[in-house]
Amino acid sequence: MMTTFHSSSPLRRHAGRFSRLISAVALLPLTIGTCGLALGLVLSGLALAGYPPLAIVSRWVDGSIGGIYPLTNSLADACPLLLTGLAAGIAFRGGVLNIGAQGQFLLGAMVTVGLSTRWLIFHSAPPVIILAILAGTFAGGLWALLASVLERYRSVPIVLSTILLNFVALYVVRAILQGPLQAGGTPAPQSPQIAPAYWLPVFIPFTSFHLGIPIAFVLAVLFYALNQRTTFGFESLVIGLNPGAARLAGIRVTRKQFLVMFMSGCCAGLGGALQVLGVTHFMTGSFGNYGYAGIAVALLGRLNPLGIAGAALFFGMLDTGALRVEESSLALPHAVVNVVKAVVILLMLLLSAYLLGRKLRTRQVDPSPPGDRGSDKL
Amino acid sequence: MLQLINISKRFGPVAALDNVTLSLRRGAIHGILGENGAGKSTLMNILFGLAHPDTGKIELDGRRVRIVSPVRAQRLGIGMVHQHFKMVESLTVLENISLAAARGLWSPGRRELIGRIRAWTDKLHWNLDLEKPVADLAVGRRQRVEIVKALCTGGKLLILDEPTAVLTPQEVAELIPPLRAVAAAGMTVLFISHKLAEVQKLCDRITILRKGRVVYTGAINELDAGQIAEKMIGARLKFPRLTDHQEQPDNAPRRDSGELAPPRLELRNVSIRGSRHGAWPLLNVNLSVRSGEIHGIAGVDGNGQDFLIRCILGQLEPADGNVIFGDSPDSHRKTPGTRSGTPLGYIPEDRLREALVLPLSVQANLMLKRYHTSPFAWMGLCRFGRWRQRSAELIGQFDIRCPDAQTPVGTLSGGNQQKVVVARELGEKPRLILAVNPTRGLDVGASAFVMNQLLAARREGAAILLVHSDLDELLAISDRVSVLYNGQLQETSWPDASREQIGKMMLGIA
Repeated sequence: MMTTFHSSSPLRRHAGRFSRLISAVALLPLTIGTCGLALGLVLSGLALAGYPPLAIVSRWVDGSIGGIYPLTNSLADACPLLLTGLAAGIAFRGGVLNIGAQGQFLLGAMVTVGLSTRWLIFHSAPPVIILAILAGTFAGGLWALLASVLERYRSVPIVLSTILLNFVALYVVRAILQGPLQAGGTPAPQSPQIAPAYWLPVFIPFTSFHLGIPIAFVLAVLFYALNQRTTFGFESLVIGLNPGAARLAGIRVTRKQFLVMFMSGCCAGLGGALQVLGVTHFMTGSFGNYGYAGIAVALLGRLNPLGIAGAALFFGMLDTGALRVEESSLALPHAVVNVVKAVVILLMLLLSAYLLGRKLRTRQVDPSPPGDRGSDKL
Repeated sequence: MLQLINISKRFGPVAALDNVTLSLRRGAIHGILGENGAGKSTLMNILFGLAHPDTGKIELDGRRVRIVSPVRAQRLGIGMVHQHFKMVESLTVLENISLAAARGLWSPGRRELIGRIRAWTDKLHWNLDLEKPVADLAVGRRQRVEIVKALCTGGKLLILDEPTAVLTPQEVAELIPPLRAVAAAGMTVLFISHKLAEVQKLCDRITILRKGRVVYTGAINELDAGQIAEKMIGARLKFPRLTDHQEQPDNAPRRDSGELAPPRLELRNVSIRGSRHGAWPLLNVNLSVRSGEIHGIAGVDGNGQDFLIRCILGQLEPADGNVIFGDSPDSHRKTPGTRSGTPLGYIPEDRLREALVLPLSVQANLMLKRYHTSPFAWMGLCRFGRWRQRSAELIGQFDIRCPDAQTPVGTLSGGNQQKVVVARELGEKPRLILAVNPTRGLDVGASAFVMNQLLAARREGAAILLVHSDLDELLAISDRVSVLYNGQLQETSWPDASREQIGKMMLGIA
């Protein structure tokens, strides 16, 4: 990250200030290189298996960014990933291991569907849309806060409670989708469809470029500014890196972490809300894996909101491009996309571990007490 | 018996050891002297198989050996007592020694092991209760266990890495005859220290390291203390002492002057209940710190220092008594940030965990307490221009050696890291300062710097509470000294009381 922000715009110049973050791993070129390497590996694997790699690449590019429809589809697919990625990213940066974006996403979607189909019907659409989005967002945030409260008052680690609360959320949502929110005429857990009046406006007709996409990307920029320019961003960074020092510097660690957790949950909830209002227009009991994918996106984006936007776009492109490859005569299974994603993440982790390990080894200049090191420099 | 020939070891651009040649004789007590960072620890780690030399060779009894791991070192008869003890606290003394003596799946039988232990403890005239859990032993006793452990598993060479760092003066004196007995039994003892007096009392021969090079090897009595210190340090460093200040009337201690300043911090009958029933980590502690004085708290680690500090910081609620800042009773301070009226500067013992955020820049670390206050922030936005300006001032004022203010603190040397902490905590002229072992892990130059800064703050009227386990440094700069023993605080008549008296109080025998 530090090397990427050497340009001279004031925002970027200050980025280096306290975001020489996490480790030397935070390098954009490295990330991009990793993605390329992963693609290369998978493609060469496919070539060995008898698929023509160049044809795959050209169809994939064509299907993800070749033209307005593929491009907007990629963006629409990136939107929920970006929001769950932001959810994971801001939480991790603040030292809160929120693995629960999935549950928060589901609850946000469910509340939004409920409000816009059954519980909140006005004659004019905008207030319904706005209220439904806000309610979905806060539902995600409050669901996340539940984990913080459990940690604060019952010492339950957030990692565990958020994972488990994902399952609770899943079954709560299913129960409601088979109860008060069930669409008529089917026994399956499925909500009624949202009336088209309440759908998010689409900017370009007949594409999936809905209002939620710019909202998500603007939010990423806002979070970037929050991280880099505000005292709150500084506090959460310090808490994430060294909670003990933060506490003794007078930062109210628990309070800030509650806030970070709430914001994180809100992001995931918003992702769910925008997804139902902008793309699916109804929901079923199994509603995607955007929450878990968001963690991968956040890691790939090195916890930086702009990096997360890039990573979400990459994953979105992988998904939509793969559809074209799948439909084509090449008959490549869709699972290949997941292989690429998994290889990207594994390579990232591997490289991080390698670099981190090397860094630690060089750091151990003198395996003696920390104060001993290199005091001849003094 | 053991020879190191032309050993070099580099870590990146730094030569930790540069062509070190060292030969140890059987039955000798050989001292290794050197400042922090001189290469002592690296040398020991190479001998114990924790690090491997880039060049050079090691010969044991005339045969070339490769010490690839601590296990290998032990098989070769090398035992080491680390500065930080390596024991399982919940196990008994015997079990700990048994663990160390085990070789793979095989471990010596209980009777055989007890025999080996007894053989050594008889020689040393020590009395170890083998069935006691290590957790119940005091630090001095634990060290004895460590030494016996190393003797039982080693057999030829005993390496002691800064063994006296955790001991009281009396305990140090008590350690000398047993070590002589070990040497008399035909073992070689390698004694690493930067405390000159002990080395002079104990060792036959010494090697002095400076910046990875051997600057002297020979009999101890060929050099006097001044010469040794000169060789260790190179240039003479000014070490602050109260005597220096007594020469200047301005800095003389004020305790006899009659005009006592009002206390900035007062503890009245503070007691803290322990986790075990009936345990009182602090009992009826009365303490005051006045402006313009350094009140030193001496004591062996683990006699209630932690509780005292956390109580002052407001992290622990006293079961009884009051903590009073300035004039207002206040036992509910939650954070050591800036409380209105009484800004508290706190130099913690563990700067890595409590004071610094290593991946962040020097600038961010310097601003860690002020970042949200005017003029460094406005409406929740950071004003980096002001940050830069202020940190440049502090870097200059406190002589922090760093390439620039954006350098991550983690890449600085220990001394410079501590300077960052000191600059942040003292730079804003707090009226009350709490310093805990502020020179731990620093070399002589950096220690002198930190202590001079405390003295400077004292001159400017700050009230300083110094909790320090290095008695000499504590006595050097304190106006008043109290001793914390077993949770009870007792004020001494320092400077009328002698160092030995205070040492005895630290052990609870006076």
